[in-house]
Amino acid sequence: MSLTRRDFGKLALAGLSSTALAQPAAKPNRSYINGVQFGLQPFCYHDLAMNRENRPILIQRLVQNGLGMVELHAVWYEPNFAGPGATPEEAREKLRNWRLNPPAGYFRDIKKEFDDKGIAICTVYINVGDSFTDAEIDATFEGAKAIGAKGIVGSYGLAVAHRLGAFPGKHGMYASLHNHDNLSDPDAFSNEASIVKGLTYSPDFTATLDVRHFTAGNGDCLGFLKRHHQRVSAVHLGDRRKNNGRSAPFGEGDAPIIEILRLIRDNQWPIIALLEFEHGTLRTGVDEVQLMFDYCKRALA
Amino acid sequence: MLHRQHLYVLFCGGILAAIASAQAPARPGYDINYIGPPMEDPVMQHSKETYVLFGCSYCHGLYLVARGEATDLMHSRLVGSDENGNVIGPLLRRGIPQTAKLSPMPQFSDLSDGQIADLVRWIHYARQQGRYKEVMEAKEAGPGNAAAGKAYFEQKCVSCHATLPKKYDAAALTAQILKPQALVAAPSWKVDRLDDTKTAAARQRHGALLENYSAGDVVNLMAYLQSMK
Repeated sequence: MSLTRRDFGKLALAGLSSTALAQPAAKPNRSYINGVQFGLQPFCYHDLAMNRENRPILIQRLVQNGLGMVELHAVWYEPNFAGPGATPEEAREKLRNWRLNPPAGYFRDIKKEFDDKGIAICTVYINVGDSFTDAEIDATFEGAKAIGAKGIVGSYGLAVAHRLGAFPGKHGMYASLHNHDNLSDPDAFSNEASIVKGLTYSPDFTATLDVRHFTAGNGDCLGFLKRHHQRVSAVHLGDRRKNNGRSAPFGEGDAPIIEILRLIRDNQWPIIALLEFEHGTLRTGVDEVQLMFDYCKRALA
Repeated sequence: MLHRQHLYVLFCGGILAAIASAQAPARPGYDINYIGPPMEDPVMQHSKETYVLFGCSYCHGLYLVARGEATDLMHSRLVGSDENGNVIGPLLRRGIPQTAKLSPMPQFSDLSDGQIADLVRWIHYARQQGRYKEVMEAKEAGPGNAAAGKAYFEQKCVSCHATLPKKYDAAALTAQILKPQALVAAPSWKVDRLDDTKTAAARQRHGALLENYSAGDVVNLMAYLQSMK
């Protein structure tokens, strides 16, 4: 598919009308701070295995950190069939069957757990890939929609995105493209050109700009947001150093975190800021998330 | 004025407070549940914390149980071939930008030589602990092949151990092969011990062997050594 810049602009505008781009929650959300909706990428709690059993602890920690929005990995609510006695193929088939035939009321109950604590699930993080059947992709969107998400996001590349483009619109949702910093892989979302190319595949695509990886790949986060904010539903907000550098605590890397937050606030863009860190810390995950969140609050004060 | 009953309550309260204090986290801002209680050897503890602080544990696991697509350092041949950071150090400084993985290994060019040494020290220590556990818990290593054990002994051991140890039973011999008692204690910092290059070399050598033993290597060695008795 080959598009001119003008075609891309039309698609971008069309996309706005057809995708459920992120909006501040209808009810006041506890982590809507001075014009920016914050949430968490719960990978942050490094010590907390991401599975169904630990979901109550996740919710407890989100409340403890004063966060009212989360990007929820599917593994927080989907069963894990892997383990002794099951080959990877058998476990994968069982998971597919579960997705196609989830227990009645299952997603409603999950949503209620979060609703009761004032937490909105903005997106579901799931790595859709070649092993997914079409019916399974549809079921994935339906499950995500049932727990209140507006879209899905994952670490897939251009080839998978090309196939995925037809699905989100059927469910009134969006699918978001999430970048890493692998500049050596032509299929990867890693720089502005690759993300823009992916966005042309569907008006129902948005970008989740991972500012950590984008910075490590020597990308210009502020320039990207200025040029493509209409198609950006969220940023993964963290810090890293340029030139494939290491992750760093907020303010110690090269990502322009303060500037990004002010850009979102001052232009009233409905872009969710999802706190995420991969840097090391001797503190607990809850303490470190609080430090990051406080840093962001000061940036918007 | 305090009654005897009040004094008793205060006394018990003091005891409980002392117990609670003894069980409290090592220091504020230290996630004892994740990092674990401070180690006896402060150099190793510092290395462990450096490994956590620079984010290595995020991908490779604190005890080298990797997450996601990260390299398994517990079984990496590259790590097994490293001597004092001669392989790991340069790799850390340049990273691995060319890769088929989603996220390339970052470069750590801004770290000091001391920090790199800390990371290397913890990786080897954690690997030695993990491999020891694996070998000791291996269930299907078989009866052992004395000929293979002899070949291993002649290649890896004979330069230091010209004579065979005969004072151990099978279990003790296995333990001595994996973790010789003379080498497991924390290094001494007494001046007259600092120049003990023989012990330092033995510690280094046995650490490297432990990182690379397979369960098969150990049962073969045992079969050979016991056949000599």
